[in-house]
Amino acid sequence: MTCGKLITGVLGVIALAAGCSGPTEKAAPKPAASVLPEWTKEQKIDLGRQHKTAEALYNALKEQAKGGQKLAPDALPDWRGVYSRPPLNGFTFDPEQAQGSPTTAKLTPEFQAKLAKRVEDLKKGIEWDPISLCRPPGHPRWLTEPFTREFIVTPEQTWLINEMVNDIRRVYTDGRGHLPVEDRVPIPNGDSIGFWDGPRLIIHTNQLMPGIYQRANPDYTEQVETVEIWQKTDDKTLGVDVWVYDPPALTEAWYVRQTYGKLSDPDLRIRYWDCAESSNNSVFQNKEGTTEFKNLNFEKGKP
Amino acid sequence: MKRAPLFAVTALVLATVTPSVAHHSSTMFDSKKTVTVEGVVTKWELTNPHSWLHVEVKGKDGKTVVWGFEAEGPSSLQRAGIKPSDFKVGTKLSITGNPMRDGQPAAIWVEATRTSDGKKFNPRAGFAVK
Repeated sequence: MTCGKLITGVLGVIALAAGCSGPTEKAAPKPAASVLPEWTKEQKIDLGRQHKTAEALYNALKEQAKGGQKLAPDALPDWRGVYSRPPLNGFTFDPEQAQGSPTTAKLTPEFQAKLAKRVEDLKKGIEWDPISLCRPPGHPRWLTEPFTREFIVTPEQTWLINEMVNDIRRVYTDGRGHLPVEDRVPIPNGDSIGFWDGPRLIIHTNQLMPGIYQRANPDYTEQVETVEIWQKTDDKTLGVDVWVYDPPALTEAWYVRQTYGKLSDPDLRIRYWDCAESSNNSVFQNKEGTTEFKNLNFEKGKP
Repeated sequence: MKRAPLFAVTALVLATVTPSVAHHSSTMFDSKKTVTVEGVVTKWELTNPHSWLHVEVKGKDGKTVVWGFEAEGPSSLQRAGIKPSDFKVGTKLSITGNPMRDGQPAAIWVEATRTSDGKKFNPRAGFAVK
């Protein structure tokens, strides 16, 4: 805004005192400072143990952050760009789990047995993945998929977008709560509410569907809930601390950290994902329980 | 790598930096074997979740077989530096993949070499974050 018209008479004195001396751009306000402390990995694991439910952990963080701060439209964190998850140790849910080593989740005996059977079947060549029928991966598996992503921040909502099956998680930061318990119906990405603590977005997600964290990874139930803390850690990296609660499957909260790297190709765009574009991608689960193509068909050249 | 005869399957364990990523189980393909064929592109399906390169291969007996080589979707291919215009119908190439266990002429695309300029194309490079 130019201040030329304002600089007249007494008003001019006031304007000059305020530093308005010409047609200059107003400096963008800085995001508010974070109230929550930085924790070590061990402290984050302890946080999960100290709170028996995801809701309890989320409420404790919100209380500690004094309710969080509302984002100003001109002071949004810069999460622009196209990102992807690096293939560290494959795509296992915990990126710190070395390939071929046991899961870092503390599983109940029932879910430990389920995982053991899945791994044993895989060794026999039997594998079926629910996403084979183009179902959405669902959260928390959503965190692990290796495709392109975008993150859209507004004061009232943040959209966490994964190109795979055009998958969007909407995080409401306008102060609303979750739906009443009696009206909750399981859906793939659940219901996410959150608040900002300076540059950090804290999210609580419930109302989820059962699924698997990834292939050769454990199952989760429809009681699964998560707490996440998202933050840009440098110009090219978004990091997220994740606590997963799922009483039937986990004996304690499973803490993992995911990172997403910004891709440098300026021409990269999120593309519409239509799973039925090619009939060659159609598969089914056969009698043995594993995957088969329905009808591969490749085109002969024209004579 | 020494090129195998047409349709011949070479048992070769490839050290891959990134794992195969598919919407379906990868157990349909034998990741410990590779097959290399030379042929001509008849179709290039740039689709999600997988793209398919159709390659017509002529055997020594004069008969032709059309192979399908499965790769990742268009965004991942772009990240690997593979463009839609790289494989027009009629493009000649040599291509290596992990073949299907049941003998169908299909494979997971590991690496292709375009005959006209020797350029190599590796779809799996598309998962690197760079």
